[in-house]
Amino acid sequence: MGVMDGGHLEDEGALLDEIGALLAEPAHEGNPLRPFLQRLHDLHRRQSERLLRLVRISDGYHGMARDDSDALADRIEREVRRLQKLARISDLYQRELREQSEAMRDASLKDPLTGLGNRRYLMQRLDEEAARALRTQRPLCIAILDVDEFKRVNDEHGHDIGDRALCGIAEVFDDVLRDYDIVGRWGGEEFLILLPDTTLDSGMRIAERIRAQIAGLRIEDDRQASNQPVRLTASMGLSVYEREKPVAATIARADDALLSAKRAGRNCCRAG
Amino acid sequence: MIRRNQNSIMNKHFNIPATRSTPEIIADWDAGLVSMAGDSYPENSFEFFTSTIEWIKTYLAEAQRPLHLELRLIYLNTSSVKAMMDIFDMLEEAHARGRAVSVDWLYDPQNERVEMLAEEFREDCSFRFDITAEA
Repeated sequence: MGVMDGGHLEDEGALLDEIGALLAEPAHEGNPLRPFLQRLHDLHRRQSERLLRLVRISDGYHGMARDDSDALADRIEREVRRLQKLARISDLYQRELREQSEAMRDASLKDPLTGLGNRRYLMQRLDEEAARALRTQRPLCIAILDVDEFKRVNDEHGHDIGDRALCGIAEVFDDVLRDYDIVGRWGGEEFLILLPDTTLDSGMRIAERIRAQIAGLRIEDDRQASNQPVRLTASMGLSVYEREKPVAATIARADDALLSAKRAGRNCCRAG
Repeated sequence: MIRRNQNSIMNKHFNIPATRSTPEIIADWDAGLVSMAGDSYPENSFEFFTSTIEWIKTYLAEAQRPLHLELRLIYLNTSSVKAMMDIFDMLEEAHARGRAVSVDWLYDPQNERVEMLAEEFREDCSFRFDITAEA
């Protein structure tokens, strides 16, 4: 018959139907096995139905669990998207802060008028360059420049012209100094120049070029009726960093040299 | 109804003055307006924003009038960003229920970064969300 082969519920159903039909036939009425087969048949059919119901319920639970996990996956995805947005916005704010703090650091080290480094910048670089000179055993030359009779420029031509003169001097530095030299505004009309890897002799030659170019500057004063350009001179004092002595001592010697230059009649360079 | 009355008295109008690390927040129940201005990096952002979030929640639940947010926020730390996202989510939900809600984010034209940030916030919002440079 082949009905037992598959063991599928459908096949079993068909077999039960066939047995049911045989039991119903009057020809088998007197068979002593018939009541037993009838009982077995009924029992089996009930169990088969129960099994089907169980499978249906179980499938239902599976479906619910799947729906739940789909909903959970959706929720997690939404949360992840939210967190990504939060991180993205937060990163932008952080970048803004970082840029602001960099800009503030730059500003805190810069002289706004000339665009050169300010005294704070110079103090930092002085320490760094002194340490480098010590390490590399190379000379470090420093020069202090003071504009001669700058007060007179301000008084006679006004502060605008005085400011313009200082910017003109900053341009001279840009022209004369090497990439690795360092210059900044040390005070009102005073500039400090660091010449790494430079002996006093070489430093004097550089200082002399600066002095000469400043003496050649012509600052236009358009408010003057005479239209005579303003002329400037500057004096410089130089010294070389001495190991095992504080940097301040080098600066003090350069200051003394500057004073000598002033006493010698200005518009000249002196070494200390 | 009792809760409503209590809340109405408590929440009708509140004004948190700005500090160095927290924005000024003004909530006006009658005008249906919440304005926030300044930097926000409080010690405890969740606590700081609780009253504002509660006020908005109550307003959206009880007042049937439109709600408008006027923002002049500049710097926000991460938990403040989170609080603002929560607020915009509440507005989005209310909008989906048919409530009239809107946001005006005003920024100093010198600070374009704020505009970019406001646009990030706006991304998932379907209610009216204007970002405008303020002279």
